[in-house]
Parts: sequence; structure tokens; C-alpha cells
Amino acid sequence: MSRRREDGETKEALHQIVNEMYKKLEKGETPTMTLPVRTKLNIDFDKKLGVYKYGKKKSTRDASSLGSAKNLLRALHMVEFIDEMIDNGKSSTLREMYYISEGWGHGKFSTQNESNNLAEDLEIITSSMREDFRLRPEEDGSRIIGNLTINELNRRGEWMKINARDDVGDSGYGVPYNVEEEKIKLLDHDIDFIMAIETGGMFDRLIENGFDEEFRCGLVHLKGQPARSTRRILKRMNEEWNLPVVVFADGDPWSFRIFGSIAYGAIKTAHISEYLATPSATYLGVTADDIVAYDLPSDDLTNKDIEALKSELSDPRFADGYWQEQITTMLKLGKKAEQQSLAKYGLDFVTDTYLPEKLAELGLA
Amino acid sequence: MSIAEKMASNQKQIAISEFFEKNKHFLGFDTLNRAIITAVKEAVDNSLDACEEARILPDITIEIQRVPKKKDHLILIAKDNGPGIPQKSIENVFGKLLYGSRFHAIRQSRGQQGIGITGVVMYSQLTTGKQTYVKSKISSESTAIEVNLGIDTRKNKAVKFSQERVIWTEEDQIIEHGLMIRTEMKAKFQRGSQSIGQYLKMTSIVNPHANIKFRYVNSDGEIEIDEFWKRATRNLPTPVNSIKPHPHGIHLGQLQRMLKDSEERKLTSFLRQNFSGVSSRAAKEVCTKAGLNDGAKPKLLKTEQINQLLEACSNVKFLPPPTNCLSPIEDLLIKKGLSKTIDSKFVTTLTRSPRVTSGNPYQIEVGLIFGGSIPSDQQVQLLRFANRVPLMYQQGGCLLTQAISSVDWRQYGLEQSGGKGVPKGPATILVHLASTNVQFTSEAKEAVASNEDVLQEIRKALLELGRNLRRHMKKKKKMAKAQEKFDLINDILPAIAEKASSLLNKPIPELSATISKIMNAVIMEQTTTWDKETKTTRIHGILYNYTARPRSYTILMNWPEKQGAIMVDNERGGRKEATGLWAWKIETLQPGERATIEFGLDNLEKGDWTETEVFYRGSAEVIGASKLDEKILEEIKKQGSDNLDEDLGIVNEIDETISNVASRAEIPNVNLNEVQKESFQTTLFGEEEEI
Repeated sequence: MSRRREDGETKEALHQIVNEMYKKLEKGETPTMTLPVRTKLNIDFDKKLGVYKYGKKKSTRDASSLGSAKNLLRALHMVEFIDEMIDNGKSSTLREMYYISEGWGHGKFSTQNESNNLAEDLEIITSSMREDFRLRPEEDGSRIIGNLTINELNRRGEWMKINARDDVGDSGYGVPYNVEEEKIKLLDHDIDFIMAIETGGMFDRLIENGFDEEFRCGLVHLKGQPARSTRRILKRMNEEWNLPVVVFADGDPWSFRIFGSIAYGAIKTAHISEYLATPSATYLGVTADDIVAYDLPSDDLTNKDIEALKSELSDPRFADGYWQEQITTMLKLGKKAEQQSLAKYGLDFVTDTYLPEKLAELGLA
Repeated sequence: MSIAEKMASNQKQIAISEFFEKNKHFLGFDTLNRAIITAVKEAVDNSLDACEEARILPDITIEIQRVPKKKDHLILIAKDNGPGIPQKSIENVFGKLLYGSRFHAIRQSRGQQGIGITGVVMYSQLTTGKQTYVKSKISSESTAIEVNLGIDTRKNKAVKFSQERVIWTEEDQIIEHGLMIRTEMKAKFQRGSQSIGQYLKMTSIVNPHANIKFRYVNSDGEIEIDEFWKRATRNLPTPVNSIKPHPHGIHLGQLQRMLKDSEERKLTSFLRQNFSGVSSRAAKEVCTKAGLNDGAKPKLLKTEQINQLLEACSNVKFLPPPTNCLSPIEDLLIKKGLSKTIDSKFVTTLTRSPRVTSGNPYQIEVGLIFGGSIPSDQQVQLLRFANRVPLMYQQGGCLLTQAISSVDWRQYGLEQSGGKGVPKGPATILVHLASTNVQFTSEAKEAVASNEDVLQEIRKALLELGRNLRRHMKKKKKMAKAQEKFDLINDILPAIAEKASSLLNKPIPELSATISKIMNAVIMEQTTTWDKETKTTRIHGILYNYTARPRSYTILMNWPEKQGAIMVDNERGGRKEATGLWAWKIETLQPGERATIEFGLDNLEKGDWTETEVFYRGSAEVIGASKLDEKILEEIKKQGSDNLDEDLGIVNEIDETISNVASRAEIPNVNLNEVQKESFQTTLFGEEEEI
């Protein structure tokens, strides 16, 4: 995602956080930091945007315990660090920031998860994106294969035209972390829909079987829970090219969550759901029904799986009839299945039988 | 020599080496590793017993040398400063099996175990063919005697091979009295939990009056191990009295022998004269129950009648035997012994009152060390002792282990699967059983045999240690919480203020109001440290008022007054509240203000005093101190109780002065009140009851 704000605006918003703490200290009170509650209890459906966003519930972090006081101190150090990067025209990865915090004394992070979470907190409080903070993730985005053409600004500052079928090797086009207009332009395509695939094994199977050409689609590898840039490029292709997006994942509670984050927005990034979510995306499979209908090799649900499913039952994103049914069916079944369990009927079964049947249900084949 | 004589002597020769060979498992020479430990054990036991009898503070040195180029050959050199052995007794002491006077005496002694030093001499000769060198000096003679000894297996008797008078000096000092043995044997030197080092370390814990040095020299002549366990006290163990047997603890053979040797004319007077706890009424009752005439002549009783007598004894109640035949180590000395040998954060020890089981007096002592350098992911180390002798083998089958395993240690903060078995955690548990008659599971004398009374007694003692441990951990947790708050206001909050101000280009705000709001408490921060330079224990305490109101308190701290500590550098003054309890009045402390209390303790050694308890008198709670219980304090003042610390719930400190321990040690009853009350009642109601 690109920087959406002026630097001055970002700095101003960050200094508001500092101001809140300073004012409390001046009054002889305990310094605080106020931010939205970041759990499923505080995500509401935004009718206008068609995605889930944080609601109005706020939580206050104050310096009355050692842990949260340290968090406040870290926030101040991070604000200072971002200030300096903005002033000096630098940027850093989240991991680099984690290591830089070694020099922050008592404000040092003990895990990178802490620093990533705090960066997200600051995004949410200031309604900015981490690109505004000059912070970028180190995880790369996904791979794309299919007859679609993209213009990407390369390191030498030149625009480079890439066709994701003809100009790439077997591994496809690698999606960079920044997929905004200034870096990537969506030029042209000759496909009918986009299929997002959870596992690398299935992605490669479909390529080997020539599925993208036969069914005129673009294949996107999600790599598990998709990175922000993957979700963003899915949304752009969906909006700018008007292509339907279908999600093909394992048949387990975690796949449902992957779909939820693509279609409705992830809880962790609910502050920017409107940039990341593709509300019209549909879930192709593997569904709980498929496990029975195709008699797929399956595993028993673990206690963790069952817990996750139960939690999804009360997740507002899965409140509609389709998902409630899928989840209760899977709970009743007590089973889950991988995408690759379709290989039970041979390597071509997925491309010759399963996917054509599923796509036909959606009117895409 | 006639053929018959030859045959007889041959037979004897075979008999003795065979005896040794056949019984080496319970003589302690069954493995090469165990052989050297047994040899050390015999030498050390002898030295400690001799010093104790002669009332000498023991200095014992053990040296093991690997013999070069010979597989599994070790030389043992044992040296002590004991009374020495007169020239004419040397052959008897070193050359006769089971020589000694301890055999029929009923009292607590080390020497119930093993066959004595003779076994070592014999083992040496059997495995290397070499003689054992002995040097002895007694104080009444001007020179020492040097002897090389062997054992004539035909005559079962020691043979002197050379004998010389010498002047014994060590490091230019003439030795007044002492004994030295040098012997070579087939044996293996090993490290770990069943090693000489461990044995000596354990010995030093339960013999805190001894200096023990240990050195191991490898086959290249290099010193590989050089250890010195210093004595923790100069008080020798209390001399123990022999007692007469108790009718509940007598066996048939012993009874037969006693009857045979008796001079008494009447059976009742035999019973009263030769046993403890037998009143004339009880003696008559025994005779009636046995169907024997009071006036029967003891010497002439038949086996049948003796059996009846024994049976009757077990059905009659007697007074308990006296318990002053026991010599416990005393909890304070165990604590010192443990502290000096094992680095830890917390030590708690307990000596129970003496008890009686089947006519045998016994006494339980336990100790527990926690934290420090003890690994936390392993089984707790068990230190088992019977009559001050370490038990190193057969841990699993030992009563002392069973008692430890029967406690659910999980409630006291140790790991234990299913609440049974040897727990896991950073701890060491010590159990000492002192008794006139320790029952072992076998002749190897490495595991104490089952006995429900003793088991329950050990359990009770261990549960108390467990409670002390739990209290200690609770306190630690509380302190950690207070420490977090201090970190918060001393480090984090100022950093927040500074960073926020510099980012906004504004002055740093005053923090005291915020601090009061965050803490909203009165806090006592206190440390007890050892000052190496001045050899003083330093106590430093700061009382902070982090509330919005002025506060005033009286702060009290305990200190080892009875242990002989001298309070120095107490600039705030204050006054004595009770023995071992000092009080300081802190006048009004305004919000944000603090008061410091500092003093030093002289006349203590390092490790004697490591934790000071702080109490307060005042309305609002003080974090880091306990509210003083006035009722208990009043009780203490009224009674002049010696147990101030116990009553106030203090755990980890030494609550006796050195001199107190000495005087107390003469009467082994720790809790005098309890025991005296019991015996008083028995006479008051004319009932003879077993405890």
C-alpha cells in the first residue's frame, strides 16, 4: 500500500499519542494510550464499505503496571524513530526496527511480535498505514500465474511490463510488498476469474495440469494466511478488472479464517479493511459437505480445531447462514480434509472433475 | 606341626578369606567403587567416634592416590588429630574382627555399621598382598609409634612387621596426638552421587564440629580434587549415656543372655534392675501375666518360661525409656552444615522431640534447602543419615525415602507426578534418624527398615518444612511484585516523561503526584547484605510514603540478638521492643517523603543472617512489611519466650545463640514443655503410659 498521507499529517497524528501521555503527566495523573479494542467483540459490519471495521469500543492502556508502562515507553520510542525516518527520508523493515529497539533501554522489545503489534496499534490510533510510517514487512507477497499483464516500477525507476503467463518461470510473478498504483499498474488481461489457492502444492498441481489456460483464470498462491499485499492485489484485480475471486483452500477451521480475512477483513487489520477486503469473493472449497460428497481422506478435528470452530460460530464475519451451516456440519462430522486429499482419485481428478463441478455451481465453468 | 594341626590351620585360613569373599556385599566391599568408600567410611567413623569420646574437635584428612601403572589400585591415607591408640592396643584395633566396646551398650553410636577398620586391613592384604601402615601418637608419650601391619589369617590376628618410635611432625609442628593410616587396595575412584567426595560432604553436614579435608591425586601425581569442609561449630556433640534396654525392645536371645548373667535372686528385681521404664507394679504385672512366681530365680528360668516372660512384656504398659541417650545434631547446626556445603537461597531445618518406638528411643531431624545453584529440572537430592552416618546406597528401599515420597510436595511448590514419589525441583532434602537401635533392611546397613511410627514422625517434620518453604515462596512473590512497582516508578515512568517531553519540546513535568497515584501505597524496601571489608551484616531499609496523605508508623525489625550479634551503626536509634526485636518510631512522613533505617550486625559470620523480617505498627498497609500481631507480642513479652521468631511466623533465620545451643544440647528435648507435661501427667494419675 502506498503512503496515503502527507508526512506532516502523519507526524501530527503520532504526536497526538505523545500529547495524551504528556497531558496526563502534567495533571499528575497516570499516562495513558487510548485505542480501539482489537478483538472480534469489537468488529462491526460497515454497510457502506461492505467490510468489517473496528467498532466504537475503546480500551485504555495506562502506566499503572510494569508491562503496560513499558508498552507506553516503547510507543514513544517508536514515534521518535518514525519521526526521524520521515525527516531523513529513510525506511526500515519491521524486523530492522525490532533490532534497533535494542538501543531503547527499558523500551526495548522482547519479541518481534510485540513490535509488530505496536506498529499496528499506532496505525489504528492514527488512522495511518505502516507505509506512512516508512515501515515495511519482510514477508513477500504471493505468486501469480495466468494471462494477465502488469506494469511494475523496477529498482532503476523504469516501468517494466510483465505478463504473468509468458514472461515468468514456473514460480510465477512475485508480488512485491507495495502493490499500489505508484508501483504497480494493472494493464490488461484475458481471463474470466481469479482463483486464490491456499497451499503451494495445489498451486503447482494446477499449473502443471494447465488449469489456468484451460479454464481462463489467474492463479494466486496465498501462502497460508495471506499478507496484506496479497489481499490488496486481489482486491485491485477484483475492482479494476471486474474479475470474480474464488478461494480454494483446505477444509478446516483455519481455511475458513483465511477466506474471512480475504472477503470481510481480518480482525488484526480491521482498521484498513476497506483497502484489503474483497467482499464479493466466494469460497469454493474444500467445504465440510465436500468431505462427505467426495468421500475425502480426512483427519479428526483436534481440540484446537474444535475451539477455533466454536469461536467462529460467534464471529460476526461468519454470522450468515452459509457459514453457520458449514461450521456446524464440520463440528458434527468431527473431520477435516486437506486440498491435496483430492489426489485420492488421481492427480488429474482435481482439474478434471472436482474444480469443474464446483465452478459450475458458481456459474464460472 | 602335625597333620591334624596343619589341616586345622588350613581350614581356618580358608574360612577367613572365604568368610570375607562370601560376605563382601554386606561388608561393603562388593564393588571396586564401593570398596574405597567403605574404607574411607571405616576410617572416618573411627576418627569421629574417637574424637567424640576424647572430647577433641576433629581435624580429619583423607587422601586418595592412584597407583601409577596399576589398574584399579588406590592408596588411602587417613589422618586425624584424635587421641591416638596406645602401642599395645594397635594390634587389637586393626587386627581383630568386631573388636570394640560398643557391642552391648544401648546408645546412639556410629559404629553399629560395618565390621570396622580390620576389614580394610584385610581387604588390602587380600587384594594387594600389602601391609597397612599405621602411625599413632598418644599425648602421654613423647614419640609416635610406627607399625606395618598384616593379618595372620591362620590365627585371625594382626602381625606387626616392623615397629619404630619416631617424632611425628607435620609442617614443622610436632603432633601432640593423632592417628594416620596408609593402605593400598584394589579399588576404583569414581565421582558423582556415590563418591568419596559426596560421602565426606554429607559427613561434614551432620558432623558440623569436624574439619574435613579431602584430596585426590591422579596417577600423574597431580592433585585433581582439593576440598576443605570447615567446621561450623566448636561445640562437640553431647556425650551420650548408655541406657538399659526397654522391655518393649528386647529380643529372645538378649533376654536369655541377660537372665543367664543375672545376679538377682528375684524375677521382679531382675526386671527392675536391668530394664528401663519398669516400676515395681509393672514388674509384678509382668510376672502375673507370664504365670511366673515373683520370686522365681532368674538364672534358672527355662526356655519355655523365658518365652512366656517375653510375651508378657509385650502386653504390659511401661514408662518410656529415657531419651537422653540420643545426641541430635540440632536444627541450627544442620542449617549451618547445609549452608556451608550447598549454595542455596533458602534453608529450613527442624529437630523433633525424641520419641519411642517398640522400646527404642529415636529422634528425627530434617532439613530442606531451596534455590541457588541447585538445578531445577532434576529430582530433588536426598541426603539420608542414620546416627550421623550418611546412607549412600539403596535409596529406593529406605524408610527415609518412603517418608519423603509420601508427602505431596506439589502444595509446597515442588513438582511431583501424582503427588507421590521423590519430587523434582531446585531443592535438597535431608533426613537424620538418631536412635539407639536403627533397624536396617539388611546387613548392608544402607537402608532403614519400615516402621510406621518413624514414618509418621518424619512425615510430620517434613510437612512443617514444606509449610516453611511455601511461606518463603509467597514472600518472594510479594517482594517481586513490590520490586516491579519500584522499577516502574524509578525507571519506566521517568523515561516516559523524558521521551514525551523531548518529542514535544516541552519541560519535563513533576512526577511525584503521578507516582503517588500509581503506587497508592506505603512501601518498605529492605536489603540484608554482607560487607566483606568490615565483616558486618548490613541492613538497609527505606520507607516510602507514596500516598496522598501524611503517614506515621513504628517500624520493627528482627535481629539475631540471642545468637550474640551486636547492633552497630544504628543512627536512627529506636528502642528494644523485645528480645531480638528492635523498633523505630517514624514521625509523620509527608506524601512523597521517605525515611531510611540502617544498622549493622557484628559478631556474625557470612551466611548467618541473610533475611531480615520487617514489621509495622500503624493504620495503613505497608507493602514489604507485615503488620505486627500485638497479642502475640504481649504473650512473648510476658513469657520471655525463646521462640519469638517462631511465634511471629519467621522462617529463615537462626534463632538461638551459640551458647544457648550448647546448654540446650545437654537435654535433647527441643520442646521441653511438651515432654515434661507428658511425663508429669503419667505420675499424677498413677498411670503408666506409653508416649
